[in-house]
Amino acid sequence: MTTKRIVNHPVLGKLEENKKITFTFDGQSYDGYENDTIASALLAHGIRTLRKHEESGNPRGIYCNIGHCYECRVTVDEVSNVRACLTPIKENMVIESGKVQPSPLDPKNEGDLPRTYDEFIRSEEQKKNANK
Amino acid sequence: MQHLIICRCEEVSLKDLEETAKKFNCTARELKLRTRAGMGFCGGRTCRPAVDKVLTDLTKENPTDAIPLKVSPPVRPISLSDLGGKASDD
Amino acid sequence: MQINDVVIIGAGPAGLSAAIQCRENDLRVTVLDEFPKPGGRLLGQLHQEPTGEWWNGIEETKILVDKAEKLNTDIRCGVSVHHIEKLEDHFVVHTNKKNFPAKNILIATGAAETAAPIPGWTLPGVMSIGAAQVMTNVHRVSVGEKGIVVGVNVLSAAIARELQLAGIDLHSMALPARNAVSEDQANPRLVMERLVRIAHLAPSAFIKFGSKFAKFKFVQNIALQFFPKGGVKMWDMPIHLRKAIKEINGTDKVESVTMVDVTVDGDIIRGTEETIPVDFVCIAGGLYPLAELAAVVGVPFQYSEELGGHVPIHNEAMETSMKGIYVAGNITGIESAKVAREQGAVAGLSIVKNTLQNATVDGKLKVAINNVKATREAATIQFHPRIEEGREKVTTAFNQLT
Repeated sequence: MTTKRIVNHPVLGKLEENKKITFTFDGQSYDGYENDTIASALLAHGIRTLRKHEESGNPRGIYCNIGHCYECRVTVDEVSNVRACLTPIKENMVIESGKVQPSPLDPKNEGDLPRTYDEFIRSEEQKKNANK
Repeated sequence: MQHLIICRCEEVSLKDLEETAKKFNCTARELKLRTRAGMGFCGGRTCRPAVDKVLTDLTKENPTDAIPLKVSPPVRPISLSDLGGKASDD
Repeated sequence: MQINDVVIIGAGPAGLSAAIQCRENDLRVTVLDEFPKPGGRLLGQLHQEPTGEWWNGIEETKILVDKAEKLNTDIRCGVSVHHIEKLEDHFVVHTNKKNFPAKNILIATGAAETAAPIPGWTLPGVMSIGAAQVMTNVHRVSVGEKGIVVGVNVLSAAIARELQLAGIDLHSMALPARNAVSEDQANPRLVMERLVRIAHLAPSAFIKFGSKFAKFKFVQNIALQFFPKGGVKMWDMPIHLRKAIKEINGTDKVESVTMVDVTVDGDIIRGTEETIPVDFVCIAGGLYPLAELAAVVGVPFQYSEELGGHVPIHNEAMETSMKGIYVAGNITGIESAKVAREQGAVAGLSIVKNTLQNATVDGKLKVAINNVKATREAATIQFHPRIEEGREKVTTAFNQLT
């Protein structure tokens, strides 16, 4: 375990020894302590980037650390959009960072799909006419 | 110089807001709807004061005692399965 | 389906002390909070009072939680409320877990941090000052090797000191460079005025810090003009009022910040750019009342700069103008945790009084209301010097509504 824990504190005292917990983040195994959140356990290992912006791919980490900003959302045991800053780690938890999503508004991804019901009806009619 | 991002969730920059305000000469509400500033995942909790400030400056609308841009439920994103009854009343 | 007498949203100092009052009078109470443990933002607080005593948020929280637990209070953490629905004769609190019907609701959701956007602020390693506080004092994980605090105010100075206590290295505190959003916080004159106003009532090191300016009180301009290049030191950490952070740099995470000199009015002086290597940045834009749940249920609002923004209109008894909806703590205006705790007691007693139709509570309620005022007057950390004015404004608005 790395030394990013604040073990000795002049006022708050020595850090309590808590139970060790093992989890994975993007396939790699890490350990943390009971009462750690996903965000604190990962930061203790020097990991700041928790997701990529779904559209631009720009990296993000914790911003508010108390559940307000939703910047730290990750996928936990296949449940998406879980806030790393509020979620306590559990033994064998499988955590995946937030990834870039395909953008339906990008013309590259549009393909030939109709965008309105009107377009859909017209394309269906065209298909019918073409089959005649 | 990098862009000054105002709304982190939707990556809306000051420049986006300024250009949209100029192009459409719009009200604060319209400007928000056009740019999606404050309408992302966090529901505007992070950028609300900043967006309010920029919109007031750009649209010259005076702030009122009512909350400037409407708050609508849900104030936290919620999955459809939770909304659709997974969350029971006991 | 059992209907609660009251659902309290937020297990901070306000919510917990309200719960204690309600439980002491045997009301059916559920307290909800989305953080994994109760305490709210009180948990992270740690500062020395002028008497030399430490205000330890973890200990203060423990006192409240122990008391609430002894009274068998139902406290549920990890529950996020997303809506309050008003029905004919009760409310329904919608959460990510289940729905909680209740006759009364206390909204004690505290505050959110005001962002001070600067270019590069989405990079991993940039966090709000409150985020750093929680990571350091609650989770006991260091936020980085070397950092800088952007934004100089009473909250950021207190938390910067907490980071130092935990052995975290801070380069300095500086202003955000002026941009379309930062205006007041980027204005050295206004920032200094605020600091001088708080200096006389703050803890020891603040007093020393403030007195450095106070000597110049009648010539604050001169003090700013001759502000030391190395900043004024508080606890050996430079505080800059004539230097500002213009940009945060890095590709995948924070690598440095660009610092510039500014005039007494906050204008950037060209050619003064300096790159300072840091691996974390704390942004301190202040706090505003987090009132979204009051807004969705339909409580009317009043704007008050003194209180930190839009607050739900309420009276001294912490009743809003909507029957059954109460507020307490920072949602009613930005003040200390001690004030929030006293306000919580008032809200709790008001709910008891209205539920049990019990006139014997009247005396207790009056005492509790006076405690709020006394605590406010004795406050060592005051976020806004004209808090009383803001309070009066809201009370007047309440009286006009009802």
